[in-house]
Amino acid sequence: MSKNIDVLIIGAGPAGVAAGIGARREGAENVVVLERDWDLGGILQQCIHPGFGLRTFKEELTGPEYMHRFIKIAHEEGVEFRTNTMVFQIDRETNTVWTMNKERGIEALNPKAIVLTMGCRERPLGAIRIPGGRPAGIYTAGTAQRFVNMEGYMPGKRAVILGSGDIGLIMARRMIWEGAEVEGVYEVMSWPGGLRRNIAQCLDDYGIPFHLKTTVTKIHGQDRLEGVTVAQVDDHMTPIKGTERYVECDTLLLAIGLIPENELSRMAGIDIHPVTGGPVVNDLLQTTNPAVFAAGNVVIVYDLVDNVSDEGLIAGASAAKFAAGKISAGTRRIPVKGGENVRLYSPQFVTGETDATIFMRVTHPIEQACRVFAEPGLYSQRLRYARPGEMNEVKIKAEQIRNLPDLKEIVIDIQPV
Amino acid sequence: MNYDVVIIGSGITGASIARELSKYKLKLAVLDKASELPAGASRANSSMIHGGFDDKPGTVKAKFCVPGNKMWHKLKDELDVHLDECGSYVCAFNDDEVKHLEKLLEQGKANGAPGVEIVSGDVMRSREPNVSPEIVAALWSPEAAIINNFEAVNAMIESAKINGAELFLETHVTGLLFDDKGDIHGVKTNKGEYLAPVVINAGGVHSGEIASWAGDNSFKIIPTKGEYYLLDRTTGGLITSFLFACPSKAGKGITVLRTAEGNLMSGPTATEQDDPEDRSTTPEGLAEVLKGARKLLPNFPVNMNITTFAGVRANTESGDFEIGALAKPRGFVNAAGIKSPGFTSSPAIAEYIAQLLKEELADRITLTPNDKFIPERRNIPRFLYMDMESRKALAEKDPAYAQIVCRCETVTEGQVLEAIRRGARTVTAVKMMTRAGTGRCQGGFCCPRVAEILSRELGLPLDEVTRHGGESKLLVGKTKEFLLKKEGATNE
Repeated sequence: MSKNIDVLIIGAGPAGVAAGIGARREGAENVVVLERDWDLGGILQQCIHPGFGLRTFKEELTGPEYMHRFIKIAHEEGVEFRTNTMVFQIDRETNTVWTMNKERGIEALNPKAIVLTMGCRERPLGAIRIPGGRPAGIYTAGTAQRFVNMEGYMPGKRAVILGSGDIGLIMARRMIWEGAEVEGVYEVMSWPGGLRRNIAQCLDDYGIPFHLKTTVTKIHGQDRLEGVTVAQVDDHMTPIKGTERYVECDTLLLAIGLIPENELSRMAGIDIHPVTGGPVVNDLLQTTNPAVFAAGNVVIVYDLVDNVSDEGLIAGASAAKFAAGKISAGTRRIPVKGGENVRLYSPQFVTGETDATIFMRVTHPIEQACRVFAEPGLYSQRLRYARPGEMNEVKIKAEQIRNLPDLKEIVIDIQPV
Repeated sequence: MNYDVVIIGSGITGASIARELSKYKLKLAVLDKASELPAGASRANSSMIHGGFDDKPGTVKAKFCVPGNKMWHKLKDELDVHLDECGSYVCAFNDDEVKHLEKLLEQGKANGAPGVEIVSGDVMRSREPNVSPEIVAALWSPEAAIINNFEAVNAMIESAKINGAELFLETHVTGLLFDDKGDIHGVKTNKGEYLAPVVINAGGVHSGEIASWAGDNSFKIIPTKGEYYLLDRTTGGLITSFLFACPSKAGKGITVLRTAEGNLMSGPTATEQDDPEDRSTTPEGLAEVLKGARKLLPNFPVNMNITTFAGVRANTESGDFEIGALAKPRGFVNAAGIKSPGFTSSPAIAEYIAQLLKEELADRITLTPNDKFIPERRNIPRFLYMDMESRKALAEKDPAYAQIVCRCETVTEGQVLEAIRRGARTVTAVKMMTRAGTGRCQGGFCCPRVAEILSRELGLPLDEVTRHGGESKLLVGKTKEFLLKKEGATNE
């Protein structure tokens, strides 16, 4: 039997590596990070474009460079990593974590605390139910990115990109760099899904047409993709008759959203938030199972890896505290509520044990000066605009909460000024 | 290549016939143009083992459905196939439909379908609390079941192969060969001639065309598309049995079911079309399915959809199966026009065909029992469904079973390797045999990994690996090579 693990972290992407660092710095003795891939870094391994770490390191790094810095720190801090190790089951009564690895076989681990850092996955084609055939040549943007950046193979010669999530925008540019054509990027909403800077740097700079309020309505081909029909949509997202256009292409890349990957979280019996798709957490990033913590895109899909790393550090530290018996069962749970134009937010509870950052996204864009605030009078910040593709933050000090012993709830809101 | 019997088509009909005939000392060839099993209607259907009340007494369908049902309840253990013995309800929403249930009940009794009874809407809802409050009565059929159709077809063929039959995939039959007397001599294919005194037409949606080559124009196949939704495996808990609406002239109508693996599923439509190969879904078809699904299960969670698909049935004008040996040319046997309840009926049809060969074609072949026949066939280990001790033992024996390839369905590398050992050559073949790629990410995670394993094991460059054979290559070339090729002479 392996030595007693204090904090077990599932997934060695940016959240998991940071959680390992956070747990060790908080004093946890045996901190183990499990990774199903053969190498550390998670999805950032294949994100070889620059743009990472502007907040954390004040410089522009590629995904692998960003991860390398964190992994180096984690090794220095004494975090143990086990690669090629997949967690396939968590027993909710005992918090037993079942792992598999070719050398070690199937093992049961019983750590004092668990941190979930499994990240997110891409929404597949089935989620949007496009009629037509089911040929080869339809990939999520991330799968295509893996083929191009990790395997060195091209998924196709002429691509249409559906959805304007950041990976789709990055892959549009990548396909052009590799000599393929990109006919256009189609987004069903009237605003982009990804960051404005990616629209500028990946589409505008390469003359790739970007069509808002337009979607793919049919897939043509049975063996290899032959083309797609695109059409504009009305305000109810119904295709407008007469606007259909056939586009010849051999590849359709999907960037239609990311979903937190919570199969294991469900097995662990923790509550999943219906809107974020991630665990319900407090500001210590503790889930509804007190021994289980969660951080990063498994909780809520972030725009920036810097935020994911920050949250990983918090979750790791909290898990270390729990393992040491330093988080009491009587911790306050003040619910956070979202106002009218707040689509999702995390954490959903504030404890007053720590300074809290609440991350949120608006439902509809506000293209004018606006203000994000937390009532009663806890936070207020003026913004130039608020867009669904770009997260907003609310910061609340632990002291503010401690000074309000009767506080029943916190309401966050964004409104034009 | 000389055989005793050539079977055209490796769908559930052809596969069942192959296995049945492998109980005799015969040299058997099964030919299919597809690159993996099952293709055609055996892949895309409701995976239902019917209770046997729906077919008019006296029809060919009625003759085979109830016996076929009984056989599957036994075959599931012999062939190690996942069969969910869940039972089915036909739901009535008004008095006219209740009358129809009574007619179905009579038919069921006449056909010998065991245990069929009518229950009130309230009784049904006490067992199925999520169904429509407007259901007034339902016909319960306890023997109805749901089968894993991917497994079943592969199991039948594997069992036939264990007992000596040969399978030839990507082998497209293009015509028949006749001897001097004008009787059957074999078939022509894209891969050459396969000679045999007996040819069995289990060509599914193409069986009408194949029969016409033998001069049999007595029936015509009307390709009839059925579209489906397949939902996430977490949705299966909403129902415990198979739900039919009351059948109409158009067919059995839209059903809601829980697959053997626990995915909620709904379909099919019944749209006649000319093209037997058009398996595309349509906005109209999908809308019709959704409406039908919500009628039975008002909270049908379509937002949990993971894929939509369509199959094409081999409908006939008469609506019945076309089974029998032609008087001329001798040696040509139809197992044609097999649609619902075809999956159910297939083992019974196969038994009948064997009998028919003995009685009607004794001048052409002799059926001597194969005393070495092995009825058992074991499935590829299903890691997801194993207990922890068995998993540990398996992983200890072969470390490849301690490596996950498909995270949604918990499929291990060991399973993928075993599928390849059993003949898988495409990503879809691996999917059909192991379920890798059938889960909620629909291959987003495992497709590149399965492709890499296929490439490695088959010694095939990664950009030669196909999704489902033919032109369905996953990739179009290497990155830098691709760029240089495009830029052409400037880089030479």
